Amino acid sequence: MSTLIKLETVNKHYGNFRALTDIDLEIAEGEVVCVIGPSGSGKSTMIRCINLLEEYDKSGTIKVENVKVEKGRNLKKVRADVGMVFQNFNLFPHLSILDNVMLSPIKSKGLSKEKAKKVAVDLLTKVGIAEQADKFPAQLSGGQQQRVAIARALAMEPKALLFDEPTSALDPEMVGEVLDVIKNLAASGVTMIVVTHEMGFARQVADRVIFMDAGQIVEQGSPNEIFDNPKEERTRNFLKAVLNH
Amino acid sequence: MKINCFTVLKIVLLFLLWPMISVAQESNDPIVVGANIGNVPWEFQNTDGTFIGFEIDLVNEIGKRLNRPVNIINVPFNGLFAAVQSGRIDIAMSSIGITDKRLESVAFTQPFYDSDQSLTVVRGSGITSLEDLRGQIVAADTGSTGDIWATANQEKYGFAEIRRYEGLAPAMLDVVIGRVKGYISDIPALQYYTKDKPNLEVVERIPTGGRYALMLGKNSAILNDVNDTISILKEEGFVNQLHLKWYGTLAEESTSTARVVPMPTTSDGLIFNFVETFLNMDVFLQTYPMLIDGLFTTIQLGILAIVAGLILGLILALLKLYAHKAVRIIVKAYIDVFRSIPLLVLLIIIFYALPFVGISLSPFYAAAVALTVVSGAYTAEIFRAGIEAIPKGQFEASEALGLSYKDMMVDVILPQAIKVVIPPLTNNCINVIKDTALASVVAMPDLLKQATQAQAVAANPTPLIAAAVIYLAFLLPLVLWVSGLEKKFKAGDTQ
Repeated sequence: MSTLIKLETVNKHYGNFRALTDIDLEIAEGEVVCVIGPSGSGKSTMIRCINLLEEYDKSGTIKVENVKVEKGRNLKKVRADVGMVFQNFNLFPHLSILDNVMLSPIKSKGLSKEKAKKVAVDLLTKVGIAEQADKFPAQLSGGQQQRVAIARALAMEPKALLFDEPTSALDPEMVGEVLDVIKNLAASGVTMIVVTHEMGFARQVADRVIFMDAGQIVEQGSPNEIFDNPKEERTRNFLKAVLNH
Repeated sequence: MKINCFTVLKIVLLFLLWPMISVAQESNDPIVVGANIGNVPWEFQNTDGTFIGFEIDLVNEIGKRLNRPVNIINVPFNGLFAAVQSGRIDIAMSSIGITDKRLESVAFTQPFYDSDQSLTVVRGSGITSLEDLRGQIVAADTGSTGDIWATANQEKYGFAEIRRYEGLAPAMLDVVIGRVKGYISDIPALQYYTKDKPNLEVVERIPTGGRYALMLGKNSAILNDVNDTISILKEEGFVNQLHLKWYGTLAEESTSTARVVPMPTTSDGLIFNFVETFLNMDVFLQTYPMLIDGLFTTIQLGILAIVAGLILGLILALLKLYAHKAVRIIVKAYIDVFRSIPLLVLLIIIFYALPFVGISLSPFYAAAVALTVVSGAYTAEIFRAGIEAIPKGQFEASEALGLSYKDMMVDVILPQAIKVVIPPLTNNCINVIKDTALASVVAMPDLLKQATQAQAVAANPTPLIAAAVIYLAFLLPLVLWVSGLEKKFKAGDTQ
């Protein structure tokens, strides 16, 4: 399997605070990677660097499909290749569900309205929400909104999807429907990096689990390795805290 | 916010009527005299600020003879009529000519000066008579005898336009700049004014047979006393000595300066009443077309300034938020400066000062530029606040979707910002329309200017009341609409 995303000695400073320390990471095509770790450990910061929502220190490199992620002409291609799903959905409240999904195919990919609409309807069907296409975001539940956000991210036909705590803002009864959609995507071979607190989900869908703490990758491995035989003290402490209650 | 316009009207009327309903004056109360200070040589200021002049000397002497102190206050020419009718002042003076029209609403003493109008131009400008002014712009004082004459004779002499000023100084400034070619005004004032100014020249006497007198309210208790005193002062030769003092010669024996003449009277002795004065239907119907012309100018100016200000403001807001740091600093300075500078000051600078660096704008465009420049600064801040009110996630989602900056703004950010900014933008539009009234100082015939002119010509403040009603009629609905919108958006916050 070829490498799709590659991070080399990536550091990130906010003033004097070091948010990321020497991150090295390779994501293969088709791989599903879950990132776990305590709040403030740099999980979100790391994936937000991949599509340059956050700038990282000049000393490191991030490449997507061998294209360096940096300001300038290449950025448009990188962002077309990497879709993102946010914790707070960030749907466009003034646009209908259908228009939310159609916007980027029309504007970024130059699709005609008819084609974009077909793409959008297909994707909304895929996430089980086609019948809501004419409603506005505020009329949908949180779980439905997040499924629309996933459809919107998929509409660009990205090579990889980044999920930034996709279920953290949801009421508990809606977490399942969103995770189901992500699971189906994982099964269909989409490359994904998922920052999550849902350990059961991570164990079930991840090809690889990464544990981060204090801006560093502390440990990584298969779900079995991380959840059943963690090598590092910090990993064990974290898992004990989140699993024993 | 709910405005009860009836309450406001009552307060305004009470304010206007206050002097009339206050108790009758005691005999040693000062006589309050209103004069358009700066009207040489009748009433002006010497270097230490004391009021001096022909009429100043005259009323001071009258006060002395009547054993009453005299308190002189500065009132613009076209404000004198309403002031005397409302009793705010007892006597108005400013080389005011007696006309039949004015006699319908106010009273005059006997005249004490026979005058004509005159044409003043820049020496060597090639204009030597009224005939040379065909197709040219001429200046006059709003509602003055000169204005009345020029209006009546506009067609005959083919004046392209009569531009109306609030007195001699600003009018002469524009004559010197060359924006207007001649100034039509009282001959004695202009002869006196041009005496020590070799670049200016009075080239024609316009025989109008004007006679100047003191103007009082129709119901004035002191009218006869003042008139009798003038008779005495004429018989003593005091008035003609004033002529000698201020014009260097004695007036001829046949003139009203030298001999006692009857007090002018109207055919029907109209008795003062509130409705006749402030809500006079005849005056309203006569002046209505002028007001509508003025309203049209006001709306044109308002719309131009609003649209241009919106465009300017949007550009400034985007620059302030996203441009290079150096540009941001410049834009911030622009916004701060133009929100601090009073619009009136800016307008006067643009109109009267810029011609000296070669930029000479018509009154309309000077006003449009001033309003746009200021409105742009306010609009920029409104747009900036609107854009900043959009959650960061909207920007991030747009970026993550690969939208260009332009697409992000046009399709995502601005449509949401518009909703936030519509109420404050509408408020700003209302302010711009109200501020168009300031353009009357640069001789632009907007609604207010037309109303002041009409009230000076008719010597009746009804046109001003009518103008206020017209402003209300089209601004009040906007104000109510904004209040409704604000309420609606507040209720819809959850969306």
